[in-house]
Amino acid sequence: MFKTFYKNDNKKFLKDCLQIIFTIFLMNAICPEKAFAYLDPGTGSMVLQAILAAIVGVGCTFKIWKQKLFDFIKKVRNGK
Amino acid sequence: MENKDIEQLETSSFRDPDAKVFLKDGEIYRRISKNYAKTFEKFINSGLYEKLLSENLIIEHTQIESDDLIIKPKKVFISYPWEWCFSQLKDAALATLKIQKIALEYNMSLKDATPYNIQFLKNKPLLIDTSSFEDFKEKPWVAYRQFCENFLSPLVLIAYTDLSLSSLFLGNINGISLALASKLLPLKTRFNPNLLWHIHIHSKMQNKYSENKTKYDVKISKNQLLNIIDNLYDTVLGINLKKYKTEWQEYYSNTNYTEDSFGTKKEIITCFKNKINPKTVWDFGSNTGIFSRIFSKEGIDVTAFDIDHLAIEKNYLTAKENGEENIFPLIFDISNPSPALGFNNEERKTLTQRAQNVDLILALALIHHLRITYSIPFSYIAKYFAEISKYLIIEFVDKKDSKIQTMLLNREDIFDDYTKENFEKEFGEFYQILEIKPIDGTKRTLYLMERK
Repeated sequence: MFKTFYKNDNKKFLKDCLQIIFTIFLMNAICPEKAFAYLDPGTGSMVLQAILAAIVGVGCTFKIWKQKLFDFIKKVRNGK
Repeated sequence: MENKDIEQLETSSFRDPDAKVFLKDGEIYRRISKNYAKTFEKFINSGLYEKLLSENLIIEHTQIESDDLIIKPKKVFISYPWEWCFSQLKDAALATLKIQKIALEYNMSLKDATPYNIQFLKNKPLLIDTSSFEDFKEKPWVAYRQFCENFLSPLVLIAYTDLSLSSLFLGNINGISLALASKLLPLKTRFNPNLLWHIHIHSKMQNKYSENKTKYDVKISKNQLLNIIDNLYDTVLGINLKKYKTEWQEYYSNTNYTEDSFGTKKEIITCFKNKINPKTVWDFGSNTGIFSRIFSKEGIDVTAFDIDHLAIEKNYLTAKENGEENIFPLIFDISNPSPALGFNNEERKTLTQRAQNVDLILALALIHHLRITYSIPFSYIAKYFAEISKYLIIEFVDKKDSKIQTMLLNREDIFDDYTKENFEKEFGEFYQILEIKPIDGTKRTLYLMERK
């Protein structure tokens, strides 16, 4: 059925294929499958999180190092 | 499910296009939109729902046979954050953060962080918005602002400024602004690094970017977000009520009762209880819940109301410590109950609108406060109670009682109608008096009444 419809006109076949692919792409772009959060995150709140991400990371590392230091001191004390 | 026309949309469920809550035949359902279906299936199939269920952090639901994706969550009594004591709000905040942390492990994230998505079942805070999850993207948490305004802000205001500030929820239905909190909080909160960042600096950042016209593409990794959530958790954990230590001690002293008469009162109430066998009890003026527990310890569901924040706090902490599931304490002022709020006064309902199947009201050591302090006539009180419940156990305090004598010391006694006979007459318009039992050793009488 495909052969009779396109009658070996490869150019038309390619054109039709491209058109279908483009339509699918367009549909996905204007009708996204994923839902988006309805809340307004607040620009200031977003930027603050970026800053916090850096600081809290440092704070966490500091906390871990502090704990390791205390554990080490404890070990040394018990060893003595 | 056919017959879409006998469905009634829940009036508070309109902000999130991903799902709509509706009522049908007195039952609650949640319809998941087609756009959200794939995300919801990921929520279930990834195991996140099961994990939250096993940690007792989310309301259980069943899926309904239908063309649409519809779930039926377990029904729960709705209470609002202005009715919660400090620790209830704190536990709700901690639960929200726990849920977010677990969600991130499954590559999902909460779309919102509002106390209206949390309800208490058996005294445990649960997420009731089952459709509140989205795919995690390496962006800032969209609900961070809402969390700070709806949980952090009121918690610190209650703890460090004044207990009464939970009522700020009433006039600020979308959250208490960080600018307001920053203004009202004492100076010492600026020396707490966590509060400095999440409240004070956060408020300044909001101001700075309020007229913003630039699109920002902020990237935050999952680990960084987890660190921020952990920090928020520690922040909330560190907020406490040490400021109210002296008032707290008052809940350990007894007034106006001899040891014997206390026992007698309990005996009479137990006798009334056995006569009417209630399944649901509302205890108004419950204080720390001593008499509520006559019912709750037998598995009867009791909601214990009181105007005093610290009394409810003590009641809740006691219930938590003992693992009590049947007593639910809430802050409530009979003389000024919260109105219906939100758009068209339909989003948040009055207490009476939320009353369902209340068998019995307890009104112990209450009537003199309502009549003398607030000047509310007996018949008004009777009518209010009769609208809610069939049975009533009420304590009449004689004018000669020392408590009332103290209340009338420096004021005109305009309460000529405050007599036992008039009390019985006015309540008799709405109730049939079944039993009258004086409490020996006191000037108080207990009544058992049935609505006419």
